[in-house]
Amino acid sequence: MNLTLILFFGFVALLLLALGWALRKPRNARNLPTDPHALEEGQRHVDYLPQIRQALAAADYDFLSRRASRGALQRVRKDRRGIALAYLAALRGNFQSLLRMARVIAVLSPEVAAAHEFERLRLTTKFAWQYQMIRWKLMAGFAPLPQLDGLSALVSGLSVRMEAALKELGERAALAAELTSSMNRRGLSAV
Amino acid sequence: MLWAVNIVAGVFLLVLLAVRKNYRTYAAFSIYVFLNLILGVLAFLVYRWLGFSSDASWRISWGMQALVLCARGLAVMEVCKHLLSHYRGVWALAWRILLGCASLVLLYAGLAARHGLGFVLPKAERALELAIAAVIVGVFVFLRYYDVEAKREDRSLALGFCLYSCFGVLNNTVLERFLDSYVTLWNFLGMLAFLASMLLWTWALRKPQTEGSPKETLLPSGVYQTLAPQFNLRLRLLNEQLVQFWKTEATRN
Repeated sequence: MNLTLILFFGFVALLLLALGWALRKPRNARNLPTDPHALEEGQRHVDYLPQIRQALAAADYDFLSRRASRGALQRVRKDRRGIALAYLAALRGNFQSLLRMARVIAVLSPEVAAAHEFERLRLTTKFAWQYQMIRWKLMAGFAPLPQLDGLSALVSGLSVRMEAALKELGERAALAAELTSSMNRRGLSAV
Repeated sequence: MLWAVNIVAGVFLLVLLAVRKNYRTYAAFSIYVFLNLILGVLAFLVYRWLGFSSDASWRISWGMQALVLCARGLAVMEVCKHLLSHYRGVWALAWRILLGCASLVLLYAGLAARHGLGFVLPKAERALELAIAAVIVGVFVFLRYYDVEAKREDRSLALGFCLYSCFGVLNNTVLERFLDSYVTLWNFLGMLAFLASMLLWTWALRKPQTEGSPKETLLPSGVYQTLAPQFNLRLRLLNEQLVQFWKTEATRN
């Protein structure tokens, strides 16, 4: 097989794959919030963090392993895995909401900084990679359930930081939205 | 026969552009279609007078092809601008990146091509076609990444250009490999691909187009400067949470 043929056919195949991806509607595009107030929705899972923490506590599992039957223990193990996966999904939901808001701001801005945009792209790629790795690991059962103890510490740390971050961000985004709508009302353009 | 069909389709598209007054919105595209039509007729006459395989007709037709390619480049630029330029900030970033991509693709095509001076014009054309396709795909990736809506007509025009360019690259690559035995088929397939693109463009421009969609109301530039680092910080925070989780898992394993 000629090398030139491979190089050009390969490149065109890559281009067509990228084109297909770009033309495909994102699976959850319609479900993601665009309203800045919708960011507060992302906080919902944070409200349940004490319960999640409780469900994942090592002490609970130890207690159960001494008293409960094998079947019950297996069910608990399955449930705990489900909780960890749900937590990861919520984290991802938060990430995507933030990302979407950041993109809306970029699209509506007369100037964007390449450094910020590339940084966001890097963070998105990194997050997507790590999210999938952890998810597969959990789903495949490579992470024995007692190891999920670490999650509770993470979760409690996150709850405090995310609550503050989301609140601040929500306020700022609402301010930006207010600015836009007030300009619209006056028929002015920032351009 | 196919050549005649192509001419008729080209004339029809040109008439459509004139009747619907779409040439105002798509000036470069209209010039490209017009030039393509005129040079197509000229190429036919040249082949008829000088013969299909003569050296002179080969040079003249490739010279004309270079002109058409330049016009296509301008038309593609126009379509890309239609697709993204309403979003000033993103467009300013995008065109620089796309220009960089096009340069890299040209370099890649130059390196990937077989060395030697033979087939210089087809090789140059292939490189430009590849760059055009890469730029259009790049614009679509930008549209997807920023989740912005574009007019269906602009998307169809861009898609027509992209698919035609991709096909052109493949067709020229096969031609380079099989030379004479492929020339007739190469010509036929090229015309067929162009006809398909023209039909797509005709369908896209069947209705009159407004001169650009209304400009988006933009935020004051300070908003982005303030919020973008904040957003990135929050995203980094979430990433850190995942990293910690990952590390916890890895350590315990």
